[in-house]
Amino acid sequence: MSAADIAAIFQGAIVTITLSAIGILIGLPIGLGLALIRWADVPVLGRIVALYVSMLRATPLVTLLLLLFFALPNIGVPMSPVSAAILGLVMSTSAFNCEVWRSALMNFPKDQYEAAQSVGMNAGQRFRRIVLPQIVPVSLPGLVNEMSLLIKVTPVLAVVGVVDITRAAVRIGAQTYEPLPPFLVAIAIYVPIVFALVSLQRWIERRQTRAEALA
Amino acid sequence: MIHDFGIVWSERSLLLSGLANTAILSALSAIAALLLGFLVTPALMSKRPAIFGLARLFVDGMRCVPFLLFAYIIYYGLPSLGLRLDNWSSGLAALIIYNTAYMAEILRGAWAVQPREPIEAGIAFGFSELKLFRRIILPPLLLSAGPVIGNQMIQIVKDSAFLTIIALPELTHAASSIQSRHYIPFAAFITAVFLYWGLCLVIEAGISSIGRVAEARR
Amino acid sequence: MAETNKVLDVAGVSKRFGANEVLSDVSLQVDKGETVCVLGPSGSGKSTLLRCINWLERPDAGQIYLNGERVGINNAGIVMGDRDLSKIRTRIGMVFQHFALWPHLTVLQNLMEAPVQVQRRPKAEVRDEALALLAKVGLSEKCDAFPARLSGGQKQRVGVARALAMRPDLLLFDEPTSALDPELVGEVLVVMRELAHEGMTMVIVTHEMAFARDAATRVLFLDRGKAVETGSPEKFFSNPETERARQFIQRYAGDVAGGRR
Repeated sequence: MSAADIAAIFQGAIVTITLSAIGILIGLPIGLGLALIRWADVPVLGRIVALYVSMLRATPLVTLLLLLFFALPNIGVPMSPVSAAILGLVMSTSAFNCEVWRSALMNFPKDQYEAAQSVGMNAGQRFRRIVLPQIVPVSLPGLVNEMSLLIKVTPVLAVVGVVDITRAAVRIGAQTYEPLPPFLVAIAIYVPIVFALVSLQRWIERRQTRAEALA
Repeated sequence: MIHDFGIVWSERSLLLSGLANTAILSALSAIAALLLGFLVTPALMSKRPAIFGLARLFVDGMRCVPFLLFAYIIYYGLPSLGLRLDNWSSGLAALIIYNTAYMAEILRGAWAVQPREPIEAGIAFGFSELKLFRRIILPPLLLSAGPVIGNQMIQIVKDSAFLTIIALPELTHAASSIQSRHYIPFAAFITAVFLYWGLCLVIEAGISSIGRVAEARR
Repeated sequence: MAETNKVLDVAGVSKRFGANEVLSDVSLQVDKGETVCVLGPSGSGKSTLLRCINWLERPDAGQIYLNGERVGINNAGIVMGDRDLSKIRTRIGMVFQHFALWPHLTVLQNLMEAPVQVQRRPKAEVRDEALALLAKVGLSEKCDAFPARLSGGQKQRVGVARALAMRPDLLLFDEPTSALDPELVGEVLVVMRELAHEGMTMVIVTHEMAFARDAATRVLFLDRGKAVETGSPEKFFSNPETERARQFIQRYAGDVAGGRR
């Protein structure tokens, strides 16, 4: 394995990280939106969201990606590997995020919401100024956990042809007939990223339990 | 479109054998990982730094490695070390080793919150060794860890889909074959998605029944 | 034989945890039908003494005999294996401070578990006996409930019935009422008093001075790991021999007069 090969894997890493970041950034607000629809118990739409979340949580990302990549062009929606990857990541992670947000919303003390109503705040103000600032810290560990899970499934993007870490590693393995070294390099890139997120999650949880203990 | 699903229906035996393989693969690896987890958990709580460190390294390491890369290493990487496994053995081995780390951590967490006194009562009432473990320690441990173990089983079902890349004939692989044979991607893959969904709903039903049993005892 | 009446013989038992000597050279003989209350300030080693009797804690020195049979050390002078120890433990019932009921079993199953699984007695017989015991502690209607659904006082009455279901030669109580709300203490003490009247052989670690005074046949006063004083409750509470005992009784005087703190 040459230095150029390692450089190729790192180039793949940039693709992986970029796609993950896009997935996370789009998935967070969509997840919140889905959670709000369920929380507000919007008729029909709430049921649809519940089914969507249940189904997406059960669907392996590979299967979802293959479905998007092959089936959407069939009905006239052009799909590049990258757009299929982003769509798949967003769909999957938003379903998981929805559950994290929703459990924070369900546990939100009702009397606070009523107090905001009683001082005349409108729905938007109540949500932005009272609810959101409190559910964000509660949801944070779960959301970070979901981020690390998302990063861990990104190797599957290679299946639809995205030239990410994994595809670069597979290609080098096939060229050199030495698959082990490129895979080890790939793992060496993944481990610190996931480890950092896992540590971040533990740190947030520890800080919050300490803050609760002091309160 | 209805015609497409007709083709899927005509290929149902292929799809069902894929579903069966996914179910078998998941069930086998969940059971094996749970049993091996029981062996790793004591090491995670060991007071000897070497044993503890090794177990921690394994568990935390596995939790940071993407499953797909791990499966690649077992299937493509091990042969360069002279260990060649077929796709079934390497797929199963990858699922088992990987999930052993998760199961061990789940069991450790459940063990840490178990009260000590009922176990001591078991000893005082003459239970010892295997019987103490089987009748006094294990049931409440499994009840409290049950829902988390169930969630991990759903994760295992989803991870098993990755094994399509090493040509293991599981559900996603079956759907891919149907799609490439007849070029009906939507019908083939959406059927697979519904079958995964069904499998997970069955597991979730199991989780909630364990949850009800546990709730009565809490 | 003059010895046959002696159920428990603790001879010179010592136990240390690290540098801390919890029991030093404690002896105690209990005859059949006696109710011995072990008293003393917290940290005096009372619970450790109890736990040494059935070898939940392994004593560092001294001997323990149950009906003349050595506990923990076999004839060859070697520490017993789990199997031999468990055989002896089935003859010593124990009631725990925090009840220690098995959460995954119903009340009736809690009573039947060890007699069936460890003593291997016939299920039907054990069941009849267990139901009779539950009736005795006034919990017949709770036999199919899980422990989590019981009040503390009910849990502890199940704890006593569970220990009795083993048909033990000796019953040990480790502060059986100190985890209970004050209003629930009475119902457990009633059951214990009844057992004392029936002639059950019991060693009870407790802070219930009133109970010790009128239910015990003898008290043992421990202080800083030493058996400072032993004798009849009348004599101990009215005219203790040592200054330490006097101070201890004074601190709990209200308890003896008023029933409870």
